Amino acid sequence: MLTKTQAVDGAAIKKAIEGRDGKLLSSFYTDDALVRVIDRNNPPSKPREIRGRAAISTFWDDICSRAMTHKVDTTIADGDSLAFTQACAYPDGTKVFAAAMLELKNGRIARQTVVQAWDE
Amino acid sequence: MRPIETRYALSGDVRIAYQVVGQGSFDLVFVPGFISNLDLHWEDEGYSRLLKRLSAFSRLILFDKRGTGLSDRVDAHHLPSLETRMDDVRAVMDAAGSGRAALLGASEGAPMAMLFAATYPERTRALALYGGYAHFHKWVMPPERLEAFIETAETAWGTGATLPNFAPGRVDDAHFAQWWARFERLSASPTAAAALARMNAEIDVRDVLAAISAPTLLIHRRNDVRVDPDASRYLARKIPNAKLVEVPGRDHPIWTGDVDRVADIIEEFLTGERAVTEVDRVLAALLVTRIYDTARMGDRMWGERSQRFQEIWRQQVGRHGGRLAGTQGEMMMSRFDGPARAIRCAAALREAAQGIGVASAQGAHVGEIELRGPPVGLTARVTMQLASHAGRGDILASRLIADLAVGSGLHFADAGRITLDDLDEPLALVHAMSEQHLEPDCRARTRTTEPAVLTARESEVVGLIADGKSNAAIAAELRLSEHTVKRHVANILLKLDLPSRAAAAAFSVRHTGPDGP
Repeated sequence: MLTKTQAVDGAAIKKAIEGRDGKLLSSFYTDDALVRVIDRNNPPSKPREIRGRAAISTFWDDICSRAMTHKVDTTIADGDSLAFTQACAYPDGTKVFAAAMLELKNGRIARQTVVQAWDE
Repeated sequence: MRPIETRYALSGDVRIAYQVVGQGSFDLVFVPGFISNLDLHWEDEGYSRLLKRLSAFSRLILFDKRGTGLSDRVDAHHLPSLETRMDDVRAVMDAAGSGRAALLGASEGAPMAMLFAATYPERTRALALYGGYAHFHKWVMPPERLEAFIETAETAWGTGATLPNFAPGRVDDAHFAQWWARFERLSASPTAAAALARMNAEIDVRDVLAAISAPTLLIHRRNDVRVDPDASRYLARKIPNAKLVEVPGRDHPIWTGDVDRVADIIEEFLTGERAVTEVDRVLAALLVTRIYDTARMGDRMWGERSQRFQEIWRQQVGRHGGRLAGTQGEMMMSRFDGPARAIRCAAALREAAQGIGVASAQGAHVGEIELRGPPVGLTARVTMQLASHAGRGDILASRLIADLAVGSGLHFADAGRITLDDLDEPLALVHAMSEQHLEPDCRARTRTTEPAVLTARESEVVGLIADGKSNAAIAAELRLSEHTVKRHVANILLKLDLPSRAAAAAFSVRHTGPDGP
């Protein structure tokens, strides 16, 4: 679990995502955090918005319930900004690739924008 | 988008066909009813609309139950239990990497989904049940009616004969009826269909309802023709965390009727958010076509010609760059990007109708319609009323159509005004004139009522009508069947644009010349 003094960093995110630990992931966010997802069904002008830790928690629980592999490859940190890429694969071979930009506030994620593309 | 890939999950030693579509953050497994076919679903407008709506907010997992559709065939005489089929859901979820999913069970899929939710609570995120039931004989059909249904299935499988049992509202939709017949053939063999029906009749999951812990949504159409709405009311009382929404409609399959309404309710339940209403409205020209004076034809003749005319309607609308926007009773509605196209299509339909021995009456109007779903708003209602008012062969259009079609080369004649309940002001109308009416209207009219347009035989018949002879008498005199005489009389009235035999007799007297009428 994250302690109060410990700020979210690339390594912590990598560990939580690759370990499909939804609870740990949710704990990285501020109470009023906003996650925006842009993909085929949610275009840039109308991204899907997930607001607040409760909704973000459900979001990560759903994703982590999937028996898939996640690999966080590149993490870049710059002050309160963090970016990473993530390659995922379903057991039937379907691949998903996502890039995320994060803004931190007091060491927690306050805002995250995910752009994702799927095999389909 | 690439074609949707069909994969196979292994459940025991049986391969279950499945498809995954959509990119949502949670999984939604669609458990189909009686029969299904993964490939064919995408070919029906309503079905594919439903799947597109659902996959817009979820990762939608679709499958065909064992023995149906693209899944392995099983011994039709020893079909597996509901438990085994339910386990196919688990096998598909495993193959698709779904640890936890919302389940949408439709019709017979509902008891299967309920059984799954009670058996695997940790893998059930939520349960949405459409037109479902817990006990077949109580809410679908009693044993005696089941036998009749199975007999229909066994003797007429693959012809679409079961359609009235499921979607009576679509029986007159020839295109859908054909799809339904294919749906039967490609979803199950006749033996399997009968066996499936027998097996479904044994469904009774009343005991497991109390064990369902997932949040549950129940949707039922109030006049569902297949499953009594009381079935869902019972489920609402017995499933601990359930909410029932009753919606209007009588057609049972989830992909018929108001699909968007059902999808909206499911989306709101599963995402906690109301579906973003696409308030996209576009300007469109609507054309409503009907067969004029149906009472003059016998039922059978009407049925045949109406079907033939509907086929022509589909072709012509496509050929003129329009889109079919549905049928409502005898009204056939199509929409076009521009008014000139609509009027040209109407003229082609008028001519085609004459070619098959019927007369058309059409209405055209232009206005804003909702992009989503069939046009049901003001523009559609006004167009339908214009079609109702249109006389034999008329293309009655709002003045707006004529104004917008300036420069198209089409000609319109003033047709006064009409007061409609929906509109505050009377609507100015025009008649669209077809190409041969480019000459002065009166000359064209005279030409159409010249006796020369009658065939020699028809002229003979008119002469005998003028003598006051009955159809039977004319038939005897001309050595024809009475049926043929009736057809001649109908054609004569159509060609001369006359309302009755008496008028034809009067016409004949007026036009008698040295060579007869």
